[in-house]
Amino acid sequence: MTDRPILNVWRAEHQYGPRKVLRGIDLALRPGEIYALLGPNGAGKSTLVGAICGRLKLSGGEIAINGEDPFTTASARASLGLVPQEIALYGHLTVRENLETFGRLAGVKGKGLREAVQRALLLTRTVDREHVPVKQLSGGYKRRVNIGAAIMHRPALLILDEPTVGVDQDAREALDTVIRNLRDTGVSVLIVTHDLEQAGGLADRVGFLREGRKIMEGSPRALIEQAFGEEMEIMVHLTLEPDSAGEILMAGEGLERVGRTSVWSKLDPGGYATAGRLDKRLRKAGLDPREIRVRQPSLQNLFALVADWSRAA
Amino acid sequence: MTFAMFRVMALELWRDRGALVMTFLLPPLVFLIFAAVFSGATGEDIKLKLAVADEARTVDSGRLLSALVADADLRADDVGSGEAVRRLVRSGRADAGLIIRADPGLETRPVLIVSDPSRAVAAPLTMARVQQAMGRAMPDVLVARTLAETAPAFGGLTPAQQAVAGRTMDALAKAPPAAESETGLFAREDITGAKKGGGTIAYYAGAVTILFALFSAMQGALSLIDERRSGVADRILAGAAGMGPVINGKFAFLLGQGLLQAIAIFATAQVIYRVPVLAHLPMWLVTTLLVSACAAGLAMAIVTFCKTRDQAQMLSTFVILILAAVGGSMVPRFLMPPWLQTLGWGTPHAWAIEAYQAILWRDGGIGSVYMAWIVLGGVGAAGLFLAHLAARRIR
Repeated sequence: MTDRPILNVWRAEHQYGPRKVLRGIDLALRPGEIYALLGPNGAGKSTLVGAICGRLKLSGGEIAINGEDPFTTASARASLGLVPQEIALYGHLTVRENLETFGRLAGVKGKGLREAVQRALLLTRTVDREHVPVKQLSGGYKRRVNIGAAIMHRPALLILDEPTVGVDQDAREALDTVIRNLRDTGVSVLIVTHDLEQAGGLADRVGFLREGRKIMEGSPRALIEQAFGEEMEIMVHLTLEPDSAGEILMAGEGLERVGRTSVWSKLDPGGYATAGRLDKRLRKAGLDPREIRVRQPSLQNLFALVADWSRAA
Repeated sequence: MTFAMFRVMALELWRDRGALVMTFLLPPLVFLIFAAVFSGATGEDIKLKLAVADEARTVDSGRLLSALVADADLRADDVGSGEAVRRLVRSGRADAGLIIRADPGLETRPVLIVSDPSRAVAAPLTMARVQQAMGRAMPDVLVARTLAETAPAFGGLTPAQQAVAGRTMDALAKAPPAAESETGLFAREDITGAKKGGGTIAYYAGAVTILFALFSAMQGALSLIDERRSGVADRILAGAAGMGPVINGKFAFLLGQGLLQAIAIFATAQVIYRVPVLAHLPMWLVTTLLVSACAAGLAMAIVTFCKTRDQAQMLSTFVILILAAVGGSMVPRFLMPPWLQTLGWGTPHAWAIEAYQAILWRDGGIGSVYMAWIVLGGVGAAGLFLAHLAARRIR
């Protein structure tokens, strides 16, 4: 693997009227690297991806793909493949016909086209469905074909916009495998996602955007260690819903409900020892925890922390 | 790349059997309906439904009533009374009414025509038909009326002249002249010689062809908006080729689709109505290709300038209906007010219809259609150019 970045973004700035959406973002993506771009809505992710795809001219800064500006140079755009968030395929056409179509539209012809179709079918593990119309496929298969259509011209850089929207756990794991397979062939992958679990498990590096700025970047493990140090996440799964007194007790223990589930969690440097003491106190109070788990903090925790910082700012 | 998009459009249509049937079966069907409707409405076969009553009850009024009821060019019913005539016209069950209120041979204005203003054309047609019927069945009465009106201007008839006139009228009453004898003011010559009744059919074959070419082209071009919504356009725009091949591919497909639709329509016209398409095949083919190109270009231009499907659908419906109405795809242009006929030349429909009629009905050569070809080809090329221009804004 060479260290020369396939994608370089220098001090990217952009504004729509008076509203600044990108405020000097730097980004570099090396060959064979998976990079996850994270951030809340309005952080500037879509604008940055639009600029990388050559669809908008930056107000300031530069972008280069293989050293060329994608806004002005077709050969730079030819080096990238975009997997849109939507299923950007033709429903009445089969998997193979879709791949052929997008291959032709990317300029692949003849024997090269046949080889590219076969390669895409293998890499996306859709060989068994090649003659099935896309509209008859499951959501997971459609997502994989969506990726296949973007790699027909062997792009050096693949951009995936929310690739796991609307897919179940099994399909997501299959997608992760496809993305890793692509990375192993030397393709650089930029994933824009809200799926922090996927980003944590898949990405070599992640970057957090907030209000047009990159506020954090690094490998998921390093970022989590940097943010949480020795802290562990303690997760309590209650058998029954606590009454109001029980909720006060949970809050007093520093536990917060995870979404609308019956799971409560907190970060604590005490780890397993704290979990043991917590178990005894909850049982004594009659709250009957079904399960208490202790694990390393995840990107989910980091994202919540970043959101807290954002609110505080 | 252009072929890739052409193939996508073709396969999508081929696999959507409902859309396929509607694309190629509806146009000939609508053509047949239009041809049947308008060949009756603008030709010589209009058969008015008349409600007739004889309130005079004289010998001649009875003859006129019988003549009208027996007239094959009318659907006249004796309804008994003037009140019944008015009631039937008011309710719309008769196109017009006719009350014979005095002896047709003696009185001034003996026949009252009852008409509904919403069917104003029925009144003059009824007058003409009554004159015709009288001329055929009771020419003696017409002669008597003419003599009564004109003789005073010449100082009246002498007894000898009155006797001759009486004998002539008796003879006419006993043996009316043949209906087709040319003894009146008019003789008739049809300019197209041996051709009979195909002019309206050729007109509507052209009218329905341009109507459906534009309608289907609009539907096909809407896929461009679907592609923007589904992310396909994002994917393509992120590549090196951009939207150019997509626009060209769709244009080529819509051109082919328009050609196939026209073949379906004109094949029906040739087989059922003997419109001589095969005899003019090269000229017809050039015209049809230009009509299809015109529709495809116009549709692509309109759709590429719209941002949403709703916008495009509203605009395309508006454009299709207005152009079809003004251009003569719905009602023959010669029935329109003069200013609207002039305005019609601003639509491709009028040029397309004119070109098809010139070729198929008037046996015209290139000299009679070159201007239509220029207009149709020009609109198609301008539409394609504008579509490319608009597509460059999509980034």
